[in-house]
Amino acid sequence: MTELATRQLTKTYGERPALEPLTLHIESGAKVALVGHNGSGKTTLMKMASGLLDPTDGSVKIGRHDAGSQEARRLLSWLSDTPTFYDDLSLWEHLEFVGRLHGVVDWQGRADELLEQIGLAARRDDIPTTFSRGLRQKAAITLAFIRPFTIMLVDEPFVGLDEPGKQALLRMFDAASQRGATLVIATHELTFVQQVARLLALRDGELVYDGAPADTDVHALVLPS
Amino acid sequence: MSDDTLDVLYDLRRRRKRHRLGDIEWFDAAYRVYLVALFGGGTVLWISSSISDTTASDQAIADIARNGPALIGLITALTFLAALRSGAQGGPLALEAPDVAYVMLSPVDRTRALLRPVTQRARSAASLAATFGAIVGQLAGRRLPGTPVAWAASGAAFGITTALLWAGTALIAHAIRLPLWMATSLGLAGLALQCAALAWHVPGPANLAGSLAMWGWRQHPLDLAAPLLAVIVIIIGVALLQQTSLDALARRSSLVAQLRFAVTMQDLRTVILLRRQLNQEQTRGTPWLAVPRWITHPIPRRGIASVARFPLTRLVRMTAFAAMAGVFQAMVLRGTTPALIGTALMLFVLGLEVMEPLSQEVDQPDRTDTLPIERGELLVRHLLAPAVALVPFAVIAAASAVAVLGTSRAIAPAAILALPTVLAGAAGGVVSIVRDAPDPTKGATAQAFVPPEMAGISSAMRVGLPILVSALAASTVLLVRHAERLGTSPVGAALRGVIGAALLTCLIGYWVRRRDQWKRKFRQFMSDGQSYTKQQRSTPA
Repeated sequence: MTELATRQLTKTYGERPALEPLTLHIESGAKVALVGHNGSGKTTLMKMASGLLDPTDGSVKIGRHDAGSQEARRLLSWLSDTPTFYDDLSLWEHLEFVGRLHGVVDWQGRADELLEQIGLAARRDDIPTTFSRGLRQKAAITLAFIRPFTIMLVDEPFVGLDEPGKQALLRMFDAASQRGATLVIATHELTFVQQVARLLALRDGELVYDGAPADTDVHALVLPS
Repeated sequence: MSDDTLDVLYDLRRRRKRHRLGDIEWFDAAYRVYLVALFGGGTVLWISSSISDTTASDQAIADIARNGPALIGLITALTFLAALRSGAQGGPLALEAPDVAYVMLSPVDRTRALLRPVTQRARSAASLAATFGAIVGQLAGRRLPGTPVAWAASGAAFGITTALLWAGTALIAHAIRLPLWMATSLGLAGLALQCAALAWHVPGPANLAGSLAMWGWRQHPLDLAAPLLAVIVIIIGVALLQQTSLDALARRSSLVAQLRFAVTMQDLRTVILLRRQLNQEQTRGTPWLAVPRWITHPIPRRGIASVARFPLTRLVRMTAFAAMAGVFQAMVLRGTTPALIGTALMLFVLGLEVMEPLSQEVDQPDRTDTLPIERGELLVRHLLAPAVALVPFAVIAAASAVAVLGTSRAIAPAAILALPTVLAGAAGGVVSIVRDAPDPTKGATAQAFVPPEMAGISSAMRVGLPILVSALAASTVLLVRHAERLGTSPVGAALRGVIGAALLTCLIGYWVRRRDQWKRKFRQFMSDGQSYTKQQRSTPA
């Protein structure tokens, strides 16, 4: 079954194309890496799939639902590279809020588990807006994982993370994958790219590669034209 | 079984409200409210009661009865244009960034989740408009039939109607993704129809709203259709909330947060920059005209390059400010003295808009400090290009004043006074920009010489002084009015006004040139005084 499908999905800013018409299918349970140079259209594609950005043309479906619709929002978890937090709520209160918004009943148990995994248990009562870049990223990761999802879109998740954080995140990805969740991860970490079965490469808004990472020179794919 | 997501959202909002209320210093807040009420309310009452304007003549009252609804309706038509453009650019809502990231991306019913932000937006707009409407209404009530209280009430009703129409129209334009060009065209069409209504006395689209503002004098039940329409429009806007674009909300959220902070800090320059970003107003890639080769000095060249890249929207806005300044001056000449405040505000914002080269220089203090020229000298030279750019706007101001006055006798004084008044009025903007600039004479460890008790007054001066400069420039028109009343030559009075405006402009230019030196000397003087006092204290008697 297709979890994410785009049809002639296009985005332009004024005259400048950010994403050329893109038709794509990602199957349920797939673990996909998305690579490309800065400004290649990775974030634009993911934001359109999450419903945060209006396409100029074409469409995106999450499962059988239009991106951004109430049903699609129930299925999709979005982990941004620029996490934002309320400046008057602690991390624990954030976890409660996001978990309960998505109908998680045993949110406390799940939150404890995630904080332990990522190494933030001692900071659960602190305000995340006061955290360093790396801790903010870890806090955002817990918020993306506290809620149920069938597909997760992740933008540059390793930026700012220390080695234990990276390893914890990789384990979380593996666990989600084993549960049958679809993962689409935009990254510049080429070592991680070798661990996935499918690689998508964007260059100047165009899809230039769709296949196994082993069958191509990944370093060449991330160079701008 | 899961919680109802809306209950979770409401619970969060209650909790955050408790946090915020817990953080408030109640004494401090009460003191602020007291100051605003005392100074704001006191100032309005003082200005209102000190106006010695006479009751309008029968002829003027007949004119107002005939043209009033269409003229006041112009405000509603302009608001309609602004609302359409705001909606097309992603307004009128602005959520916090985490609300977009967590609430809007959760499976919550967006219509119900957005209901409270919509209510807050409409309520704040309505309160502001009602206050403004009431102030203007009670001023009108002092010259026109009807009591000031009744006029204040009808002014407030007009304000609320217009504000609700603004909020509803913007919500609809946003939800249907109205393209900006179409929003502007529709808004301008409405404005043109309203102008036609004023010029040819035909029914205009906003006449009923305008007529509502005159209920302090006479009541037409049909006018109630205007508030009814406003309520219907906002209900339609709310019904379309499901179509709200997250794209726009996400873009606006960070800008609006910065904007609120800048407003709190009374940082006008930042407010203007953020407003431009919010409206997606970008400098032109291709300048309207090339910098003439015969201008070789780098500072004027840089200034012209900046002014020549003003986007069309800014030029239109500046034209409107200039035209409104002319209209207000005409109103002053006709006897409505408080319109002087309108002129002052228009010239002040015109100055803020046109002084872009100066503002850009002020925005980059590190670069300015590396240049082999004294800062005061540099800033003064940056005034040249904007001053030249103000010439066409002075012509527009003069033309609109003459058009409103409708007599050829006004042409000569308007032609004489326009440019000096516009230049001196824009100097208010210069004062604001330069005062807000980082102070290079102040060291990192420099002490503030203003005691905390004076901070409020200092803060009020920061906002009030620039507008006072613009008001002084605008008051030159009073000389002409006085000459008219005495039956002496208005041209002679206008020439005296030119001297006053020119002196004011030169004074501000000199202040910009010497400000750093004066501040440095003042700091040195205070520092020497402190050292001397310390020395005296440490010396044994």
